[in-house]
Amino acid sequence: MSKRAGNQGVIRLTCPADLRYRDVAVRAVAEACRLVSRSRYAHGSQPRVHSASTTQTLDLSDRFAAEVVSAVSEIFNNIAIHGYNGEGSGDVTLEMRIRGDRLVIVISDEGSSFDPSQVPLPELDALPEGGMGIHIARACMDELDYTPGPPNIWTLTKYTAGSVRRPRRVSSPT
Amino acid sequence: MSLRLSGSLDAMTAPELLPTIDRLVEEKRTRVSVHLEGLDLIDSSGVAAIVALYKRTRSNGGRVTVTGARDQPLAIFKLLRMDRVFAL
Repeated sequence: MSKRAGNQGVIRLTCPADLRYRDVAVRAVAEACRLVSRSRYAHGSQPRVHSASTTQTLDLSDRFAAEVVSAVSEIFNNIAIHGYNGEGSGDVTLEMRIRGDRLVIVISDEGSSFDPSQVPLPELDALPEGGMGIHIARACMDELDYTPGPPNIWTLTKYTAGSVRRPRRVSSPT
Repeated sequence: MSLRLSGSLDAMTAPELLPTIDRLVEEKRTRVSVHLEGLDLIDSSGVAAIVALYKRTRSNGGRVTVTGARDQPLAIFKLLRMDRVFAL
């Protein structure tokens, strides 16, 4: 992989904001994570051996990929179910920016907006059956930003191991 | 009664599991084993389905065990502090 491709690659995907398309988005994100992993291991230790990208099985044995995919899954659900009321009446666009020390995923939609800072933390000891999505996304990323629209814009950032991490936070500029 | 889940248990597929959960609860099963060795991905909707099975079976005096979670599903159960509840 060239240095340019490894550090400045951008993958853009637009699909209907419908749960039937979520798997497409998830697989694209998993592949972007794999590209970051290769860049991550470019200067020393050996990368984990992943199964071929054409496999039907989604390989989430890598923690970085598992956490990013978890976060994106919840955001996609939120947009499809709440932003568009489960009607699939609009699109969602994912832009994956592959940097040397991080993966930045910008997710935009034209659905209803909301204020994620008003979403309460789930009471985990009570074994909740809902309200866990934003908590999962927040916990799995290093940064989670939201700007209400239209378009609504989520920005998810995760740093690779060994890079300088910023405190985990979620913000929603008003 | 054993329940083996594979692939993805998410907002798209979890609703397909609900009739099975309803049936297990109606039959008042006292021992339900959920096997997750083949599960690649779970999201909050999938977790909610398993929690619903756990709670409803327990309210009938029964017990649900969840085993075999790995990789992403295990990380999510740990994040939600449910690994101790399910003894994962």
